[in-house]
Amino acid sequence: MERDIPIFLKIAAVLGFVYLLAPIFVVVLAGFNSSDFLSFPPDGFSLRWIKKFLSSDKYMTSFLFSFRLAFMTMVVATVLGTIAAIFLSRSAFRGKGLLRTFFLSPLVLPGVVVGLSLYAFYLSTGIGLVRTVWGLWIGHILYSTPYVIGTVGAALAVYDVSVEEAARSLGASPWKAFWKVTFPNISSGIQAGSIFAFIVSFGQFEVSLFLSAPNNEPLPIAMYNSLRYKFEPDAAAAGIFAITLVIASVLLTNRLVNLHKMAGGRLK
Amino acid sequence: MSYVTLSGVSKFYGDVPAVKILDLEIQQGEFFSLLGPSGCGKSTTLRMLAGFVKPTSGDIIINNRDMTHLPPEHRNIGIVFQNYAIFPHLNVFENIAFGLRMRKTANDAIKQKVEAVLEQVGLSGYENRFQRELSGGQQQRVALARVLVIRPEILLLDEPLSALDKKMREEMKYWIKGIQQQTGITTVYVTHDQGEALTMSDRIAVMNEGAILQIGSPSEIYEVPKSRFVGEFIGESNTVTLPLGTEKDGYLGVRIGGVDLMARRAPETPENLGTGTILIRPENMILSDTAGQDATPVKGRIRSETYQGALIRYEIEVDEAVLVAEVHNTPELVTRQSGDDIWFGWHPDSGVILPD
Repeated sequence: MERDIPIFLKIAAVLGFVYLLAPIFVVVLAGFNSSDFLSFPPDGFSLRWIKKFLSSDKYMTSFLFSFRLAFMTMVVATVLGTIAAIFLSRSAFRGKGLLRTFFLSPLVLPGVVVGLSLYAFYLSTGIGLVRTVWGLWIGHILYSTPYVIGTVGAALAVYDVSVEEAARSLGASPWKAFWKVTFPNISSGIQAGSIFAFIVSFGQFEVSLFLSAPNNEPLPIAMYNSLRYKFEPDAAAAGIFAITLVIASVLLTNRLVNLHKMAGGRLK
Repeated sequence: MSYVTLSGVSKFYGDVPAVKILDLEIQQGEFFSLLGPSGCGKSTTLRMLAGFVKPTSGDIIINNRDMTHLPPEHRNIGIVFQNYAIFPHLNVFENIAFGLRMRKTANDAIKQKVEAVLEQVGLSGYENRFQRELSGGQQQRVALARVLVIRPEILLLDEPLSALDKKMREEMKYWIKGIQQQTGITTVYVTHDQGEALTMSDRIAVMNEGAILQIGSPSEIYEVPKSRFVGEFIGESNTVTLPLGTEKDGYLGVRIGGVDLMARRAPETPENLGTGTILIRPENMILSDTAGQDATPVKGRIRSETYQGALIRYEIEVDEAVLVAEVHNTPELVTRQSGDDIWFGWHPDSGVILPD
């Protein structure tokens, strides 16, 4: 099969990868740079900025904060997104299309708009969420949930409702039919959606910019603030850790989904 | 007292009726078919029996229990879906064991019952297979086994043959009927295929536009349709509107080709009609190549002859109408040409005068 791909398409694919990966490559090299400034090409190899990042209270605190925030966001977004996707796929409600568009709107709205609107909303209603962890969490959930709705919705679209009805008529309550039959059949979509939610929250910048407090800075904000004042490679070192975490979660998703396929395909 | 009773059952979606007022009684052990074109309400009726659709009005009684407001899991009903709905994440054994596990049956008993039912449907040794490793016919057997193992009070089959190829469909038709007779389970079968309904059923209800038009045995439905819709939906038929003549010996004369042929009135055909719609099955047309025969007094002209293997099909022109006739292909059969004269008639019992 591979031999049939025309050479110009292969070249286009390589150029595409280079375009996508080059900045990451630069950041990684810059993080291992021995120079005093963020520069490229690197002057020499050194772990000094990695060490600086690991020993920096500010970065470690924000890295762990981002991790916790992304995890908590993932939990809530997965539950809400799954429920919403099930409602959208099952309900005969007439305004469903409109509701779906509304639920998915954070995907298309600029993050700045979402961040600013939430900030203005917290401020004008005075509900005590301005620049608090709770307010930030809500913003991240709002921003991540559409990804779960999307992946779970896709899983439900290929899932035949009569399978669940068969379970019902065989004596399963709605609750049991969901957990014993529907859930196992859409779980790969739920897993993929939850990891998406984690990654989106972990890398979120615009919403965090409006909603985070100085003592609770997610990693992207901390990096941004740091680079505003000094052009030091420890930001690139932080980037390396963020990239590693994202790659790890993507590999994990892949493994989960592949495992799922293996479990299914093993008897073929 | 009948085993399944639907009285005054209807289902409306907003103002749109899916099923208008429906009254139906099904006897214990009966193979009962709901037959009609798509959108006639047959599937909605089945889904109301299963408990997936709540009727807008009316009562559903099964085995002396009022099921109208019970959810599906409390009805003890077995349903086989058009696409079989095998649980993709469970193997054949666990698929079949599902209903028993929901009933908290002990593991030993589950093993024994699943093996017995696999034997019954001819799938012993398939316990560890998954859905994607089964052919359509095998999936259907699993779906049926999964339902039979819980000993449901009634078996609901929703177009179970429509996803199979023609040869498999023929085979499964007799197989399902055989299983039904072995187990004696009361069965409601939904189909749009009149051939399936005629072959398998004890009784058939023909539905159209949310209402039952006629209930009867396959031969009643086929031979004495009460309406034009039923006559034309079941089997092939000629329906022509002709002037009516005088009544004699309980039969009514029908004027065709200048001759009065006798036909009988369908049960609901009003008297004193000037003209009437006559239904005559192609296989009931009697043909002859010579004039003056008592059984074939009407003269027509062959318009076309079509070879169909076991049957030869003719289109015959008479007056303004075209009638279709089918005769068995036998070695003595002479070849007829388009334009040839032909004489035809029918037995008074096989011509039916319909009310519309």
